[in-house]
Amino acid sequence: MTFAISQTNLRLLVDQLIQDGIFVVGPRRSGSMVLYEPLSKGEALTLDALPRRSAKELFFPVCEDILTYERVEGKMAVRDVDRAHYPETVLVGAPPCDAASPAILDSVFSWDYLDDFYLERRKKTTIIGMGCTRGDDACFCSAVGLAPDSVAGSDLFLTPLPGDEYACQVITEKGRSLTADYPGLFHEQSPVDPLPAPKQEMKQLNLERIKNWLDTHFDDPLWEKFADICAGCGACAFVCPACHCFDINDEGSSEKGTRRKHWDACGFGKFTNHASGHNPRDVQNKRYRNRIMHKFKYYNDKFGKTLCTGCGRCVRACPVGIDIAGILAEIDAK
Amino acid sequence: MTTINQNCYDSVTEAIRREAAKLLQEQTVAAVVGYVAGRRPGTASPAVAKSAEDAEKLVFSPACVNNLALFLSKAKKGIVPKGKTAIVAKGCDLRALAGLIGESQLNREDLVVIGVACAGVFSAAGERSLPLSDANIAAKCRECTIHTPEGVDVVAGTLPQLPDFDPVEAKELARLEAMTPQERWAFWKEHFSRCIRCMACRQICPFCYCEQCLCDRNRPQAVESSPRPAGNLAWHIVRAMHLAGRCAGCAECERSCPMDIPLNLLNRRMAQELKEQYQYEAGTTPQEKGPLNQYREDDDQSFIK
Repeated sequence: MTFAISQTNLRLLVDQLIQDGIFVVGPRRSGSMVLYEPLSKGEALTLDALPRRSAKELFFPVCEDILTYERVEGKMAVRDVDRAHYPETVLVGAPPCDAASPAILDSVFSWDYLDDFYLERRKKTTIIGMGCTRGDDACFCSAVGLAPDSVAGSDLFLTPLPGDEYACQVITEKGRSLTADYPGLFHEQSPVDPLPAPKQEMKQLNLERIKNWLDTHFDDPLWEKFADICAGCGACAFVCPACHCFDINDEGSSEKGTRRKHWDACGFGKFTNHASGHNPRDVQNKRYRNRIMHKFKYYNDKFGKTLCTGCGRCVRACPVGIDIAGILAEIDAK
Repeated sequence: MTTINQNCYDSVTEAIRREAAKLLQEQTVAAVVGYVAGRRPGTASPAVAKSAEDAEKLVFSPACVNNLALFLSKAKKGIVPKGKTAIVAKGCDLRALAGLIGESQLNREDLVVIGVACAGVFSAAGERSLPLSDANIAAKCRECTIHTPEGVDVVAGTLPQLPDFDPVEAKELARLEAMTPQERWAFWKEHFSRCIRCMACRQICPFCYCEQCLCDRNRPQAVESSPRPAGNLAWHIVRAMHLAGRCAGCAECERSCPMDIPLNLLNRRMAQELKEQYQYEAGTTPQEKGPLNQYREDDDQSFIK
């Protein structure tokens, strides 16, 4: 027998979670696109499009306050953000390319410094991943070791079945406890074949061979070929489920203000600009090289993981058509 | 659905390759800035061709959306080799070249402009696996008046009969104009709330070539650089104002925006203002100073109270 939930009950689950005071985030129509946004009812859950931005912002928001300061009676009073107030959260409907990313990012956010902002949200969030049936020609999750039915990173995983049903796989204790809390919404049914996963154009990449090439080709004319045309924006990094660089800015006045942490991108000209004015990544192709090196070499050197889930968002978003999947295939063929 | 005859793009491609190969072989130019096909069907990328062999790879198709004038601006210095440069330019891109020449960023005599007879390009959200049609053509192309560019060194290809398109952007602008200020505010507030400050609008703009963008300053900070309502609004106002009288309407900012903010509506509204107030249209001919960057004794000063 298969443990399953109907789509109607999945939406009911969202409603009941909200009623029980859980903060529920999922793909939702927002203007011309779908974004991960807080849901106010299960009906709003949109399951037919890949959200334009990834789910990383649930743990690592576009921008967040990390402290506030104010001069009171001549003395500066600094107030921390109370992280205990972060709500218990359920992320629902994340495809494997999004569900997989927090588990990848955990390594860096709990490395030499514990990023409580990220880790506290992570601790309080249960991820309901969902098998993907809607890829396009920019998708390449299978090429980087994931798959449209990969359960990596999910606490509970839903596989779309015919007739608006989902087979339910409990992956972690968090996932088990979620199903235990709402037993009436799940049912047992006889096994059926899942809906077909989308076919992907990209062949499986040999990430080890790619890393070997990167290990020895920090300087190579190929970088110019790959990325001389890079316009230097942050679109690729900002839509990426795995890019996690941030900047910290004090905004306000000398009397009162807020320290904010917000997304940054290695494509920006000022990203590595030193206070002296020297910039070790002085031209755009060196900045793009960092993007590839970080994802497929440095992160692997440090944490043994690849910093890319093959969601294809950067391929779709790049205003000059730089195609990371094509670049990786070219390196792989070296 | 009205489909555009695709053969015209092949004729442009052929003409570009022929011209580019000749210019490179004869060493008239050091490089040709053009387009090459992308890995995915219906996509293309800017490319700098430096040899006759490279020239063979150049293409023109409805996927050739980029305004290549960007690559001749100071912001992209270094990727085009020194010497005379040829550039493939659609009518809309040509206006940016005229603007950059006017602002002393380029010399006309250092350029060979390969103008293309352009029937139109894909919209950002348009389905790229289908031929160009009413359903997937960019908004700017629907109202294009310069399908066959003038004042160029060579025109590549010939234009097919083009259908009349519904001017969706003009209609959207009219819809916004008809709103109350509160409604318009709500419209932009919602759009700007999605801005993530990726700066694609700035980086793709041929006119955003400032070496120090005001919005990157932090000592002192001029505009909040964090993606929040206040800073987002300030950035988009700064952008629109700094481009008023300069923006040539290529709409690359809007196309590049990953958050679908209709930025060209702002550009277009500013252009309309310039036309009404100063009878000025940016980018039609190289002109050193637009109305907003010069002072004349007889300027209207009635607004100073």
